[in-house]
Amino acid sequence: MAQRQLTNSFPIEIGEGNRKVLDLRKRTKLHERIIQGLLFICGAISIFTTIGIVVYLGEEALRFFTLPEVTLLEFFTGTVWQPQIDEFGILPLLTATLMTTMIAMLVAIPLGMFVAIYLSEYASPKVRSTIKPTLEILAGIPTVVLGYFALTWVTPILRGVFGENTVQIYNTASAGLVMGILILPLISSMVEDALSAVPISLREGAYGLGATKFEVATQIVVPAALSGITAALILGMSRAFGEAMIVAIAAGAGPNFTLNPFEGAETMTGHIVRISGGDISYESVEYKSLFAIALFLFLVTLFLNLISQRIIARYREEYD
Amino acid sequence: MNGTPTIPDQNLEEPANPQFETNVKNRNRKGATWRYIFLLSTVVGIIALSVLVLTIIDDTYGLAAIEYKVPLSEILPPGKTIDEITCQEADVILQENVSKNRYRTLQNEQPITERTQEECANLIVYEIAKPVARATWSLSASLLNSEEIQAYTTEKYPEAELVFKKWLTKEFITSPQSDDPLTAGIITAILGSLWIIVIVIIVAFPIGVGAAIYLEEYANDNMINRVIRTNINNLAGVPSIIYGMLGLAFFVRVLEPVTSGAIFGFSDPGTANGRTILAAGLTLALLIVPVIIINGQEAIRAVPASLRQASYGLGATQWQTIWHHVLPNAIPGILTGTILSVARAFGETAPLVVIGAATYITFNPESVFSKFTTLPIQIYQWTARPQDAFGNIAASAIIVLLVLLVALNATAIYLRNRYSRRLV
Amino acid sequence: MNRKLLIAISALLLITTLLAACGGQATEAPAPAEPTAAPVEEATSPAEEPAAEPTAEMPMESGSMLPEIDPATVTGDIVTAGSSTVFPLSEAVANLFKEEGYPGNLTIDSVGTGGGFERFCKAGETDIANASRAIKEEETANCAAIDRTPVEFRIGTDALAVVVNQDNDFLADITSAELAKAFSSEVTQWSEIRPEWPAENILRFSPGTDSGTFDYFVEAVMDSAYEGDGEGEKQILSAANIQFSEDDNVLVQGVAGSPYAIGYFGYAYLSENEDVIKPVSVDGIVPTEETAENGEYPLARPLFIYSDAGVLSAKPQVASFIAFYLSRVNEVIQDAGYFPASEAALNEATQNWCAATGLCQ
Repeated sequence: MAQRQLTNSFPIEIGEGNRKVLDLRKRTKLHERIIQGLLFICGAISIFTTIGIVVYLGEEALRFFTLPEVTLLEFFTGTVWQPQIDEFGILPLLTATLMTTMIAMLVAIPLGMFVAIYLSEYASPKVRSTIKPTLEILAGIPTVVLGYFALTWVTPILRGVFGENTVQIYNTASAGLVMGILILPLISSMVEDALSAVPISLREGAYGLGATKFEVATQIVVPAALSGITAALILGMSRAFGEAMIVAIAAGAGPNFTLNPFEGAETMTGHIVRISGGDISYESVEYKSLFAIALFLFLVTLFLNLISQRIIARYREEYD
Repeated sequence: MNGTPTIPDQNLEEPANPQFETNVKNRNRKGATWRYIFLLSTVVGIIALSVLVLTIIDDTYGLAAIEYKVPLSEILPPGKTIDEITCQEADVILQENVSKNRYRTLQNEQPITERTQEECANLIVYEIAKPVARATWSLSASLLNSEEIQAYTTEKYPEAELVFKKWLTKEFITSPQSDDPLTAGIITAILGSLWIIVIVIIVAFPIGVGAAIYLEEYANDNMINRVIRTNINNLAGVPSIIYGMLGLAFFVRVLEPVTSGAIFGFSDPGTANGRTILAAGLTLALLIVPVIIINGQEAIRAVPASLRQASYGLGATQWQTIWHHVLPNAIPGILTGTILSVARAFGETAPLVVIGAATYITFNPESVFSKFTTLPIQIYQWTARPQDAFGNIAASAIIVLLVLLVALNATAIYLRNRYSRRLV
Repeated sequence: MNRKLLIAISALLLITTLLAACGGQATEAPAPAEPTAAPVEEATSPAEEPAAEPTAEMPMESGSMLPEIDPATVTGDIVTAGSSTVFPLSEAVANLFKEEGYPGNLTIDSVGTGGGFERFCKAGETDIANASRAIKEEETANCAAIDRTPVEFRIGTDALAVVVNQDNDFLADITSAELAKAFSSEVTQWSEIRPEWPAENILRFSPGTDSGTFDYFVEAVMDSAYEGDGEGEKQILSAANIQFSEDDNVLVQGVAGSPYAIGYFGYAYLSENEDVIKPVSVDGIVPTEETAENGEYPLARPLFIYSDAGVLSAKPQVASFIAFYLSRVNEVIQDAGYFPASEAALNEATQNWCAATGLCQ
């Protein structure tokens, strides 16, 4: 069954009439230890990165929160974000981020899943090997281009469908839709990988019991690949959370506390990118507030990740 | 194997149960409907991509209303057209009309009399006549509304000539930067992007795969490893500009001797600056490592334990098992993560601006310790400019970026297809 | 002492070459404005303070006091960063510098005025800061902390165009007071400003709060109409139906989308889109080269570059580049979409250069 020859790994040659005693004690070789150590360092780099981020952001954020104009209460409950007039409520930025992420996921999750199921279960290998990389090109289109695409194509369509008075020129809906298109390859490729990795024996067993292809796909394969699927969804959501350019162009540059996706608004990341590239002095309160926003974003992402991990841990199944 | 096994309900020995029959029919119909839905989704994805790419290509060719600051008729000797001018004559004309510094620069690049006729003609046009693109149109507009465009141009820009301009040309790809959209090129940006992405791949791939292997194969389920795992998931969601700031603080400032090359003797410690290709590559590598790790983890996790057990059963050590059995089977998933992350890193703008990517630079990068600019930064800058022509060269630059991306990913895609096979 | 000697010698060199150049027209006048590279053997007089007598040269235009710069003789790197508004202008001048033979490495980073000052005054990494607003006190204080004193050079003018949709048939001229009202939270409909205007919502488009254009508009228009510290800003930020964007091209799209829209942004974006939007005269004055230059048009904001005397002497290539900039900027400014700074402003910039480098006259 093994398609590979095990290389020369036996310490002792056993040939005809030349028997030596096999030493079966478990010995960990030095080079194994070294490799393990190197690999651990790779993993630990992520810790250092996080420490770096938290320390750097935390330092500056602390400087922001200790300013007299800012109170923690206002930060978390205020509904207006306009530092120029001393309004520091994060809620408008937070709602905009959540809205665009949700719209993006509403587009990307069904589309991504369906594409992945099609490629993995229905398509021929040739079709799969062509379409999968083609869709991955979508992941490489510069987000600036997608932003303009949202503004010049998607918004007019939305305005045509819903009316010019309901849909403003800058709105979070078109930004969210285009973000969904950006994330689509992420989800479709990763889910497809997860589905392909499900052992054929499971499928064959189900067919043997008389299931249709659709039933096999949705009731056997998808649940078996849940771990990979959730990883893909979480990655997709994280990407949507951290996206800046598309929203900056298509949804405008004004923080706006609203749940209406047809109005303009600004996300946390969009705000950070805009202010740091603008003409505002780096000594101003507005600039310092960016670090507080970034830290808050980091913590919200962490929170969402912890929740999702709990969910995965409960439902993940191992096969074979 | 992907073939649909047919349900052999005709071979049943029991008398056919009518409820069973309708149930089977319903299930089959449901399956067929959903099959179309799945296919449709794929088609939607392909359509979205095609529309995007087509709208970009639409801007790379089109009509342009070109006005000359100085009409050619005033420059050329009477009776001669621009195609008939010899290089000797061009030499004389240039000396008379161009500033002496500029003439000297041109001579130093290559003496005018030694150039081809086409080059000499171009010199006269671009140095003296100075064309300006007053307005440009996309390909679709040029094909569909050519009369309207014609009328518009004669009315608004009577001095201008309407030409069909190809914006994505060899000159565009090989010329250095310029403020004039008609002569600007992206070679500096291409080199910068390529240098950076090579560093990113060299750094991020081993670290990402290594960490994934560690987390899946070696790590016990203790506290520190769980923290690492949560950490990595979280890092994948940090906006790229934060990585830019982190890279600035760490790679550019703290590691300045290394990233500026001073420690290797590459540059003068007095003027050395950490804002180099190396710092940018390291920062972007840090950005994409979490995605590679997560994909790698999923891929390694999906390798069946039976394979590993078989290997151990034959006496292989843990590393041998991983290297010879687990990894080859996990390669497709790892490569997917790599492809997606490289695509992302290639198109990043914000973190690189923070690191110190120049928007205008007079020289091509010479080493990893050079200052640089990248394609996305050029594209971003050009899309923000008011003149129409900048939109066209931005579109051309985007096409070049996508082509480069596909080429970069081609190796990974080829490897992925080769290693991609179903396990038992 | 040594440096003063070198400066004096190079000043004398300069004077002699300028005199020579003044005589003939197209003579080669490679006047290296590099004190450190000046060949010492050409010293013709003992070390004197360069507070010399005025030569036979009387400064006639703003550029005539600056030494002639030959880019091919300038060596060394130049590092600049700053405003994205000034970027196209600096890019054009830098390109000219390169085309005329500059062999070195010049970089311009478009990071915003704030970022430019951060790098210039806090990190001390750049030689020149591009700015679309004057430097602020805190930033000057930062500079002082690293031993830098910013020297201001005014290099151009950006006229703010107030625009409406091409199909707007009721608005051709607006007073400053009405303009402030149009962008305030006081009124929501056009008819509330002038009863003969339609009773439709005013759709407002403005650059974002991070933009120097926004700051300038608030200062020039809103603050003069609404008394009180920060009152003008409050008015515009709480106005109804206002849409902000950081990209002026995007604002154009916005105004082009409705006949009841009004917006403001840099003049270049108007001139390139005159088929869908049109300008509105403010207090009867339309932005043109004249009115922007002589200050008649009320909404014309200055563009600057900043450097430091220490940088100018330690890196003479920077001094040469700035001199080149000041003398050639008006050749390229129209194409970049801006208007020339007034004679007086350019003269002042020249004076600043001379005072900082001591290489004039």
